[in-house]
Amino acid sequence: MSRKAKDKPGKSPPQALDIPALVARAEADLALAHYKEATELYKELIKRERRPLWVDGLAACYAGRAHALADKGMLKEALTLWRNRQQLCGKPLFEGPYLAWLIQAGEQGEAVRMLADLSLPGTVRAELETRLAGILLDWPDDTPLALPAESPLLSHRAAALGALRASQLGDWVGMNESLAAIPFRSPYRDLKPLLKTLALLATDRSAAADAIARLPSNSPFPRLAVVLQAAILPDTRWLGKLSELDADSRQLLLDLKGCPDALRPLLLDLARLGEKPHPETWFDYLLRHRRQLPAGLAESFCQRLLPHAESRLQAYTDAFGRLPQVRHMHLAALTVEMRGKRAPALSFWERMAESLSNDPTQKLRAALIWRRLSGIDIAALSDEDHLADSIDYLQRSVELDPDQRETQLRLISALRGQGELQQARGALERALPRFPKDAGLLLEAVQVALAGKAFKKAAGLAKQVLELDPINPSVRQLIGHALFSHARKLIKADNFESARKELSAAAEWLRAAEDISTLNLLRALTSDDPADVGIRDAVAALGGGLAGAFHLALEAGRVGRNVNALLLRGGVNLKAAADAGAVVALARVVEATREPEKALRAALLPLRPLLKRAVAGRYAEADLSVICEAWLRAKENELLRHYAQVALKHWPQRPIFVYFKAASYAGNLYQMPMQLQDQLERAAEESHASNDRHTYQRIQSLFAALDADLSWPEDGADFIDPLDPGDPGAAFEMLLRMGGEETLFKMARQAMGNAAFDLLRKQMGGNDKNFARALIELMKDEMRGIGMPPQPAKPQPVKPPLAPAPRKPASDIQRDLFDD
Amino acid sequence: MTDPYRLLGVPARLHETTAQDAADYDEVIRQAYLAAIRACPPERDRQRFEQVRAAYEAIANARARLGHDLFDAAAPTPEDLLAALQADFQPQLPSAQRLRRVLGGKA
Repeated sequence: MSRKAKDKPGKSPPQALDIPALVARAEADLALAHYKEATELYKELIKRERRPLWVDGLAACYAGRAHALADKGMLKEALTLWRNRQQLCGKPLFEGPYLAWLIQAGEQGEAVRMLADLSLPGTVRAELETRLAGILLDWPDDTPLALPAESPLLSHRAAALGALRASQLGDWVGMNESLAAIPFRSPYRDLKPLLKTLALLATDRSAAADAIARLPSNSPFPRLAVVLQAAILPDTRWLGKLSELDADSRQLLLDLKGCPDALRPLLLDLARLGEKPHPETWFDYLLRHRRQLPAGLAESFCQRLLPHAESRLQAYTDAFGRLPQVRHMHLAALTVEMRGKRAPALSFWERMAESLSNDPTQKLRAALIWRRLSGIDIAALSDEDHLADSIDYLQRSVELDPDQRETQLRLISALRGQGELQQARGALERALPRFPKDAGLLLEAVQVALAGKAFKKAAGLAKQVLELDPINPSVRQLIGHALFSHARKLIKADNFESARKELSAAAEWLRAAEDISTLNLLRALTSDDPADVGIRDAVAALGGGLAGAFHLALEAGRVGRNVNALLLRGGVNLKAAADAGAVVALARVVEATREPEKALRAALLPLRPLLKRAVAGRYAEADLSVICEAWLRAKENELLRHYAQVALKHWPQRPIFVYFKAASYAGNLYQMPMQLQDQLERAAEESHASNDRHTYQRIQSLFAALDADLSWPEDGADFIDPLDPGDPGAAFEMLLRMGGEETLFKMARQAMGNAAFDLLRKQMGGNDKNFARALIELMKDEMRGIGMPPQPAKPQPVKPPLAPAPRKPASDIQRDLFDD
Repeated sequence: MTDPYRLLGVPARLHETTAQDAADYDEVIRQAYLAAIRACPPERDRQRFEQVRAAYEAIANARARLGHDLFDAAAPTPEDLLAALQADFQPQLPSAQRLRRVLGGKA
């Protein structure tokens, strides 16, 4: 746009305006920082009459424009305007930023000439001298200095240069002597903290940091200060500052760091890369400079970068040759693992470990890989094979590195977890001689003995643990519980005398109130007291009411006694009403009891009618939440549904109770009513909105299970054919497996009719497991042509087993990355 | 993670020839670790302290060092390269001429 076009229409030229109009426009433009326009207007005013106010206005216009130019780095132009300000407005040159601009613009000669001006005020002279101190130190020796003889710049210069020379030689005594000759008001005074920092740099970085902190912010030596500040940064952080420095300062910093000249271009290039360059840019840098770098360094760095810069594999091969095969597999494993591709990662690691296992010098590496593979979450690939694979990996690792205690321990624990007790014992026998005094291994030996019901042995081993770790409370409890278990075995066999001895031994180890109550209960069970006072006291000590009854029922199962009879002996009245407090107390006990669900359900069975009646009690929301959690834990689905339903009556749509109600369909999720599924969806939304993550996650898990229950596997033929016509029992087996006995009974009752079903059940003497087997056999026969076709109306949905881990050849997946 | 050798200020070494070598190197690393946590106790800089501890655990013994070498997939950084290079640097005093040039002249 042309200058003319920018002019506002209707604006008269300054010459055409009268004075009041000129003043008004000049002041307005100045206020708006329109310095050029204001300058013209003030000039016109001064032309008509040189009033001081207008001269000041013109000076302000020049100052404003000069500052604007200096801000853009146009120092020469700014200096010219400042000089115009002096000439046209009579303002002193040294006012404001002129001296600083002069030095920054490199007009040292002019600055020195100013010092020769005797009319310069003292304060201005001192400031100028300070600003010139650095320049004077670098003044060419063959160029005379036109300074007054008394100038401190001259008189103190020799001392300052002496200090510099001494510092170059590391003559710190000489340097301090020279610095001492510089008075504290000298323009060179700031050399003291700087050179002291330099002296301390190599020996005491903290003191050096303290020294440089004493440098004032307006020091005349800012460039040296910046270099020294970078040099005292710890580790490698100085590199980040390198690219911010000018050429001389960079070289000085590299001097201080001791960087050889040959590496300097490489380092400057490195500084330009930044802290986190793109892997490929970084890789290219290393390739570019590989010949300047120490032998092997670029190759090693490039190898470690390959998993992040896979596209550079060919460039790597061109520069350094092909990767050795094992290293190739190693990098490929890391690459695919980083991308979350577990199956190929597993394959690469396995192949690498196999290769290393054959090399006697690499056995430790192979052992570490096998050990790590045992911990990789490969469950996502194959749930069923996971544990077996883990154990296999651990066994391989232990074979190669038997001195690794943790691996031994993990192997034994995994074998015990899998029920492979014989193998676990074998592994223990091999491990214990290597680590005879290892409390962890001995503790694992205790657990193995307990798992094998060798209670006496477990107690003996636990004592050994206690010898090594006398204050271990869990070992004391373990011994006590091992003795309990043995005593229960003896009670079951009606060997009360021996059981009492075991219990007496257990009493020495146990301190917890609950353990003492259990001890008393077991002692009462071995007693021949016809009044059963001991049992009743023990039930009372175990919380009485429902909680005590539950403990007693649990114990009945453990010692093989009739539950109802024992409850009767314990004074438990199953026909009485239970209040809300008793139900909550029971729920807390159920939650805290570490027993399998089956045992919990068996103990709750006689209490079930009472608990169903108790649902009518008055419960707080928190109480119902605790109770539902307990029923969920015990998989008491019917009770869970009852209590959740009651809770939802009081607190409709509360997500946690909707969840509990829906969870009560576990095992038969396909039976969940659509209305409840809708409620569950709303509950998920609500829990998500209210940031109740726990409930939200639980509902999501339920949805996942529901989806699995309601859908057939896409490629079901690969897994199992549930209705194989050649095996008519397969569907019933599956029904039993997936839906449990109750589901099978329900369907059989529908198919057979109540009378036939009840008769058959009675014949089986109340053993549901045998009854279920008999039902399946019967229905299989019927389906083979006897007449009754009890084929399920709807095949029980099957949760598809996860596909066995397809250990695909890694090279297929790696074709573009690490093509073999 | 940051290179644990660099963090603890010890040279990376993977192939100890004897058990004694390995034990000696373990001790070097332990001393470096103790010095690092003395210099940076948790109450002063918790994050740094955690980094130092993690670094120590990563290379505390021969197995840990091998494991780190096998399973650490972190890309090396420019700072790692500088650390490797500056291990051989010999810090020197600058010439008076260089100092004068930085003290004077224009930036």
